Amino acid sequence: MSSASGTAQPDLGDQVRAAVDRTIARSIKGLDFVISGDPDVGLTPKDIIYERGTLRLYHYHPMADEVYRVPVLLVMATTNRSYVFDLAPGQSMVEYLLREGFDVFVIDWEKPGPEERHLDLDDYTFDFIPTCIRRVAERSGEPDISLIGYCMGGVLSLIYAAGHTDGPMKNLVCLTTPVNWHEMGLMRRWTDPRHFDVDRIVDTLGVVPTEFILAGFTMLRPAQRTASRIRAWDNMWNDAYVRSYRSFDRWSNETIPLAGEYFRTTMRDLMWGNKLHSGELRVSGRIIDLANIRVPVMHAIAEHDHIVPLTASRPLLEKVGSTDKKEMILKGGHVSLIAGPNAVRRMWPAVSNWLAERST
Amino acid sequence: MSKPDASNDPFDPLRKLVDDVEKRIDGVANKVMGTDGFSQAMNQTQNLGLRLQQGFQDAMATHLKNINMPSRGDVLRLAESVQALNQRMARMELLLEDVVRNTGSGQASAPSGPPRTRKPPSQRTGEPT
Repeated sequence: MSSASGTAQPDLGDQVRAAVDRTIARSIKGLDFVISGDPDVGLTPKDIIYERGTLRLYHYHPMADEVYRVPVLLVMATTNRSYVFDLAPGQSMVEYLLREGFDVFVIDWEKPGPEERHLDLDDYTFDFIPTCIRRVAERSGEPDISLIGYCMGGVLSLIYAAGHTDGPMKNLVCLTTPVNWHEMGLMRRWTDPRHFDVDRIVDTLGVVPTEFILAGFTMLRPAQRTASRIRAWDNMWNDAYVRSYRSFDRWSNETIPLAGEYFRTTMRDLMWGNKLHSGELRVSGRIIDLANIRVPVMHAIAEHDHIVPLTASRPLLEKVGSTDKKEMILKGGHVSLIAGPNAVRRMWPAVSNWLAERST
Repeated sequence: MSKPDASNDPFDPLRKLVDDVEKRIDGVANKVMGTDGFSQAMNQTQNLGLRLQQGFQDAMATHLKNINMPSRGDVLRLAESVQALNQRMARMELLLEDVVRNTGSGQASAPSGPPRTRKPPSQRTGEPT
């Protein structure tokens, strides 16, 4: 459907035809959009090798004939499902790392049940992550491991790393990980301790519900959802766009609740006390000082992140004690950093290359 | 389907309008929601809802107690006991694995999968790292 003239001036007839075609396609595909179910996500073959309560550990089937010695463990943020690492073939960080020759494991979180309301930072960083690392070592036969933590998964990985300096961690990659929580913008405003009664919330609800978490994220960009829907309709003729939109929409709607004590500690020690930044955080009886982290560290940050602002995440590298450290600032937002076009073009290759040099 | 030519697409002004309106709404909303007054009002409303919920929970617990039925709290405590047992079993499992490994009585299963001999691209091509 292109002009045969070969000049820069587009043919009016072709343009009208293209506009009519797209309008028809919007109507046909729009119907399909409305009646079809959620898109399939997380399709890369995997085994669940460990599960306990909210915790799931996946091992993805290797895709290379020869893999790097050191396996990679991705730690998902506690508020969302890990399939954002594996949205669709071609839009999957997991698939990319597998094809690049890594042995990939992922920590995923199911909705914590009411009986898990007492789970705290200690459980995540001194029980769940160490247990998973042990399982990875058994499965891979390798004592070393590289961790990749996304958002709050990055915070958990940092706490684990600082609290287990004699542990098997060889490399640490953080993806848009907040360190200076006093720079958390509106989130910090809304949870001002003068008005925000975290004890009442946790004591009444036990587990902080999905709606509560989702409302917090949505309120940061109140017009975004409606605008995204209008853009989806506009691009209804474009199958790849629609698939991507629906996958992200499904993912953001499947926000998971948070264990009450974990939420309380996050508010008190991180959001209010900013103790990860000041080096005063105490978890499982140990002081968590990021300066104790000596392994190679890479931090990928999104320039237009509205959830974890640049000023909240950037101090990470100056806080860790590593000499081998690298920061990468990418255009894009909190989610597009790990699964958007810029992730495919820049972030995944950068992480893969950086890890490859340190995974033998 | 060909990609629309933005410069001549009749929908292009509408797209720009959507972008512009989205930015404006978000900007205004963020300003309003960033005030102390908003935070206070939001949390007061939330606290009111939580107080109501707590009151309802307490009333329901009393009612269930009166008719000799277990309350949500009772069921939760039971679930927590099961959870604690699960955690204890997980710890025992790890300890047993340690014992088996240290005594060498267990047959160590060889890790499956491809060989772990892959070299980074720089070493494969002979370039310096």
